[in-house]
Amino acid sequence: MLLAAALCCASVQLDPPGIVLSGPGATQRYIVTAVQSGGRPIDVTAAARIESSAPGVIQAHPATRTLIARAPGTAVITVRHGGATARATVTAGNRTAPLQVSFSRDVVSILTTKGCNGSSCHGSPAGQSGFKLSLFGYDPAADHEMILARHNGRRVDRGQPANSLILRKPLMEMPHGGGRLMGKQSDEYRTLFNWLDQGAPLDTDGPRIEKIEVYPARRILTSTGAVQPLAVIGRMSDSTTRDMTAEVRFAVGDTGVVSAPRDAAVTSTGRGLTALLARGMGKTATSQFIVIQEPAAAPPPPGAASNFIDSLVFARLGEVNVTPYPLTTDREFARRVFLDAIGLLPTPDELHAFLADPRPDKRARLIDSLLDRPEYASHWMVKFEDWFRNHQFNSQGRTNASFKKWIHAMVERDQPYNQTVRELLTATGDTTVQPAGNFWHPAIDFMLKTFDVNKITPTVTRLFLGVRIECAECHTHPLENLTQDDFNGMAAFFARVKVKHGYAQYRRIWYDEREGELMDPVSKKPVAPKFLGGATPDIGPSTTRREVLADWITRHPQFPQATVNRIWSEYFGTGIVEPHDDFRSTNPPSNPELLDQLGRYFSSNGYRFKALHRLILNSRVYQTASRSPDRPGESGPLERRLFARYEPRRLSAEVLIDSLGQAAGVPHRFGNYPEGTSSKDLIANNGPDYFLTTFGFPRRDILSDREKTPSLAQALLFMNGDAIRGKVESKSNALAALMEKGLDDRAIVSALWERTLSRPPSPTEWDSIQSYMSGEVSAGRERRRILEHVFWVLLNSKEFRINQ
Amino acid sequence: MSLAWSRRHFLRIGSLATGGLTLPTLLRASNRDTNINCIILFMSGGPSQLETFDPKPDAPPEVRGNVGVIPTKIPGVRFSELIPRCAQMADKFTVIRSMHSREAIHEKAKQYLFTGTRPGNAFLHPCVGSVVARELGPKNGLPPFVVTPSKDIAAEAGFLGSSYDPFVAGNPNVAKFTVKDLTLPLGIGMEEAQSRARLLAAIDGELKRVEKSELISSLDEFQQKALDLIASPAAKKAFEIDSESPKLRDTYGRNAAGQGALLARRLVEHGVRLVSVFHGGYDTHTDNEKTSRRLMPEFDQAFTALLDDVSQRGLLDTTLILAMGEFGRTPKINFSAGRDHWPGSFSVAIAGAGVPPGQIIGSTDEHAAAPADRPIAVEDLVAAIYKKMGVDYTQNYHAFGRPIAILKEGTPVRELFT
Repeated sequence: MLLAAALCCASVQLDPPGIVLSGPGATQRYIVTAVQSGGRPIDVTAAARIESSAPGVIQAHPATRTLIARAPGTAVITVRHGGATARATVTAGNRTAPLQVSFSRDVVSILTTKGCNGSSCHGSPAGQSGFKLSLFGYDPAADHEMILARHNGRRVDRGQPANSLILRKPLMEMPHGGGRLMGKQSDEYRTLFNWLDQGAPLDTDGPRIEKIEVYPARRILTSTGAVQPLAVIGRMSDSTTRDMTAEVRFAVGDTGVVSAPRDAAVTSTGRGLTALLARGMGKTATSQFIVIQEPAAAPPPPGAASNFIDSLVFARLGEVNVTPYPLTTDREFARRVFLDAIGLLPTPDELHAFLADPRPDKRARLIDSLLDRPEYASHWMVKFEDWFRNHQFNSQGRTNASFKKWIHAMVERDQPYNQTVRELLTATGDTTVQPAGNFWHPAIDFMLKTFDVNKITPTVTRLFLGVRIECAECHTHPLENLTQDDFNGMAAFFARVKVKHGYAQYRRIWYDEREGELMDPVSKKPVAPKFLGGATPDIGPSTTRREVLADWITRHPQFPQATVNRIWSEYFGTGIVEPHDDFRSTNPPSNPELLDQLGRYFSSNGYRFKALHRLILNSRVYQTASRSPDRPGESGPLERRLFARYEPRRLSAEVLIDSLGQAAGVPHRFGNYPEGTSSKDLIANNGPDYFLTTFGFPRRDILSDREKTPSLAQALLFMNGDAIRGKVESKSNALAALMEKGLDDRAIVSALWERTLSRPPSPTEWDSIQSYMSGEVSAGRERRRILEHVFWVLLNSKEFRINQ
Repeated sequence: MSLAWSRRHFLRIGSLATGGLTLPTLLRASNRDTNINCIILFMSGGPSQLETFDPKPDAPPEVRGNVGVIPTKIPGVRFSELIPRCAQMADKFTVIRSMHSREAIHEKAKQYLFTGTRPGNAFLHPCVGSVVARELGPKNGLPPFVVTPSKDIAAEAGFLGSSYDPFVAGNPNVAKFTVKDLTLPLGIGMEEAQSRARLLAAIDGELKRVEKSELISSLDEFQQKALDLIASPAAKKAFEIDSESPKLRDTYGRNAAGQGALLARRLVEHGVRLVSVFHGGYDTHTDNEKTSRRLMPEFDQAFTALLDDVSQRGLLDTTLILAMGEFGRTPKINFSAGRDHWPGSFSVAIAGAGVPPGQIIGSTDEHAAAPADRPIAVEDLVAAIYKKMGVDYTQNYHAFGRPIAILKEGTPVRELFT
């Protein structure tokens, strides 16, 4: 992209920084970035001028955008563009001998990068043609043995390395189902050759890669078809660097935003936000890309910010030229906040009182009053039952009621969440009287009466740290630097948890033993408990492993972040990290500052949820409309990820059935429960209500979330089912009450609309209603029946089924 | 160096998709719809192998029980005396005596039979009917997967989502059978209903105009499917068991098993791909003999009537019929004259869709406790179902951020194919 060479730019930069080439012949790809005056960074790699102060030491080669070491020494590299200049010092060492190649570090990396040990090739359970590698290289020792020793060592020729099958096959010098994967001149071939030549060691003492970095780390591209070159650098343990650009495997989250890289450059393909992952040598690095369109005209300012949520969200939206939607009307806000905060519709009286309230802070007051209502506790208790997996099946029938009550009390008194988590993690005792132990039930094998640490570990990390560790139970995590050792290290914290079963009574008594170890399935040695991404703690006799873990988790910065992210996801349908429990370096938050500040807010307010709800509900961002008269509601890729509007969503099963009862004036009857019992307060038994199961009452398995897709059964239930029909035809429903008052048709229909959709019918709707009703009158149908049909239509309308 | 990830191994990173399913149409390419439909007669609770297809008259009394044996059409093969019609028709179907499982809890064992995958606590694997519904789609505007009389924990769509849950047909063994929620409520005629539906479309129309996300369109899609189904004469006919002759209904047996099997035949005739009939009561921890004497004949009648009916209508080649339960029962009778759960070995009967009839596949030891010869795993049976119907079960779905094979293991039982 050609930029006017005139004085455009406030600054220019050469990346990567800190290049230390190991010796003559070593190279490093680079990129050059310029920051426009008052603007954003742009790529100027091709257009910038670059020169070296000592080309005999470090030569700059712009055609391939490479720096090449020629002799040991130092040079200053100067880049110039648009009036800005920058200088970087680059050093070359004197290493001439090829690096010592280690199997477990270097060769496994190549096997992973090339896909050899992927699940469709040699990493599959049966391998391919008898050659089996561990999936993504989780067992280097076994792979080493497979290559060198198995099948009489036919795969390698130590005397003449180039004759080795392991080299000839990926070159396609002989038939290879996986095809041609590298050329003879490639770095990978050289590395493999050198490895065999050097004696094929499993491990070496040579310099190790400590981390890799990809540049640019973050980039906004302003049109489709824009090309962005990449550079990847590895930082070695001997303080040198290594060009990894050609040695990593790239993956793009959403190729609808940028293409998969070719020749180490991506091309923007469409509007949106995505991450680029670079993986090699067992390390990963991520870059975030946003593709936007330049606006035709400057967007109008979004309006005043109520709190830091607004400033941070609007800043991000401004960066990508997305205008937030306007503020909700009072009616829209009322219906929405009632449904979100307490899972109920506003009654007509409550609605009108709010509309008529003249006070300027009436929205804040409404929020306060909702958070104080008992229905708040029931509504959010259900969400925590989802989180903590409280289900009949898990607890085998008897103690899920006590767990439900425990959760309800916890929500009602706004208990600090770090205390709750501590109680759950260290729970002991008989679960009928000490309900926190129900948290462990999904990990029990009912038949064997044993507790499986592998089943509780993923739940704990997902719930409290937002980390999906379950992949690493069996193999290295494909998208993060998590290995089986990490998984086992966390699982070991639960190795001393024991449970006593009473079969007939389905009781469980939980306790900790003083001894007991988790054995590593491969090495068969005991695994010491190890914090994820952290140290192996010293666990003295005066404490238990679980207490130590609870302490560490509740003090971890990701604990409040993972928690607020879940709550955020409840309100916005999309987390700041999305999926909401998938925090990893390769899945960056869409607004890191927002996540960080929300986490701090939560922890500095005693980990109490009401403070968090209050903050979010009062923000301008939450109170944004889902559409406006001149802007239809759309879930564009940027709008959704950056919270430009409130995303309409289907009501959950419990909220839907409670709202149905409210709108009709006929509460749903649940078995033998007293009339007026909310669905949220039911103790789920083996056969929950048909309506609830049809609309997605959850199984609460370890990994699955609430079912959110529509179905034929749901549609049929609403159209013909007893649930709706009974309410519509009931002689003591809201319609009957309105008719008894002697109101005319228009007033009745208006009132039905108000109680169901919190608004009157629009002029277009009135037209349709009137022509329908007169048609029915001509067909000879009775007034009550006609009004019942109108009511049926209202309850079957899509607007009733959603919160927007 | 970049590698264009093949879409089969597509791992979404930080993208819009929530880690759920993202490849709807892609996978269909490797399926080959054979137009074979399937009826499963499921004997919930676990029918005793000793009181059906695998009696052991030479075992000690505490194993063989009081129920006698009879010869069958196959020389040298004997069945329990409680299934005489099966014995007479033994040359028309095939029995596997050496099925085995390791799941002894009802829910888990049933899920294993219906999914071909041993269930874990992490998530629910989609059952064979849901996979068929997704991979092969509907025929003749009917739901592709139907269960009767009610929803069962074994027959769910799991992570595929409730769009692929079975359609529930209700209990056909009643006077004036109607499908729950499918027929218009009494007193509302089609014209009245349609006029009402037009008003609904008008009211929804405004929202559809201004809300462009897929939220509204997906609700709409299912509402439309429902309307189509309600109005469809084909659907009405398919479920109209009352139009069958009373004599035929008698032949099947006037009980849940018989009428369920008859309804299943109607449904596959009209285009439903897989019907599962759940017949309960086989969990005979007490009074095994007493209950068996009542239940097994019901099964006997239903299964043979179905086989006969399907053959006479020329549907045998395109209909796969299975009769099975989730496990067998203990060889040793317990203190309550009952038998308890026994996944160690159990029997399954199969016919139709080109299955060579008259075979007894595998055998058990002298107590019907363990396979003695040709043990057959549950996944092998489910693989056979998929193969018959033309679903490529080696494909992967994507859920929870990882590939999940439809069937991780399993080789179709070779004796079921020519």
